Amino acid sequence: MFGVMRLVLVLLVLQTIAYVALSLYSRAVRRSKLRARWREKGRTGDEEAFVVRGLKAYDSSFRRKLILGVFIVPWVAIAALIYVVNFM
Amino acid sequence: MGYVKWAFILIFWITLGAFLQYTLPQHDVVRIVNTYEERQELNDWTRIFWAVPDDQSANLINRDVQFIQAVRANGRPIVYRNEDTGWSWPPYFKFDTANLYTEANDAISTKDAPEWVSVTHYGWRNEFLSIFPNAVSIKPVEGPDARIIPWFNIIFLIIFFAILWAIWVRWRRFRVARIDPMIENVEDGFYAAGEAIDERRGRFRRWLDSWKSK
Repeated sequence: MFGVMRLVLVLLVLQTIAYVALSLYSRAVRRSKLRARWREKGRTGDEEAFVVRGLKAYDSSFRRKLILGVFIVPWVAIAALIYVVNFM
Repeated sequence: MGYVKWAFILIFWITLGAFLQYTLPQHDVVRIVNTYEERQELNDWTRIFWAVPDDQSANLINRDVQFIQAVRANGRPIVYRNEDTGWSWPPYFKFDTANLYTEANDAISTKDAPEWVSVTHYGWRNEFLSIFPNAVSIKPVEGPDARIIPWFNIIFLIIFFAILWAIWVRWRRFRVARIDPMIENVEDGFYAAGEAIDERRGRFRRWLDSWKSK
């Protein structure tokens, strides 16, 4: 049983690192895209306010929740692999 | 300097290639001729080429290992080991060693009435190190020249190198946008500081010179 615990622990640590890194990266990309769009649209209003509003919309979007797949996909893959290797 | 850089790059890619070649599954079309079990001494560095089964003590230095003897379509022999990978590396999650041993025994055939099977395995056979590839599954095929398309490897390698490439491109972009200007900035700062010191020294010298009698 020690082997399972080690796998779960190591994978959880890796997944958390990947999740945090991906979230930060994705938010930064969204921020720079919002800046670019504000400049394209003719610089109306306050840039910071525009970016903050866009990021708030991003925080509750489905795209952001897709990053949670980092926690789900590997376990599904492992379950599929166990089935294919041992029971097929 | 250029040679050192290329040597490092070459070593990196060769290591990665060898690692993938060892770990990814491969298929052999073979005829199974026999199976046997033999006690193996696992007390030297070649231990890394043997599995670490979950249900066995980690400090055991020898244990029984199952082997599957087979003959390839070209007549050359190949011997597989049959071990659980369990939950450890490589991530095959193989727990059905006993079942596979049964299947292998069921698939034994003679030269006169050959029964060809495809053995999926990972690992290397090396006679000098006495290491064996680990069989993962056995599937019957029509004949000795059956063609098996390695779909898993194709998909895995495409995704793997796509991720590597994506990270590499972003790292390059980040370096060009952030790190290179910073280094240039620091260099400019050094030059500016050097010039300022030179100027100071020049002024000080002029002041000293002004005390000299002309």
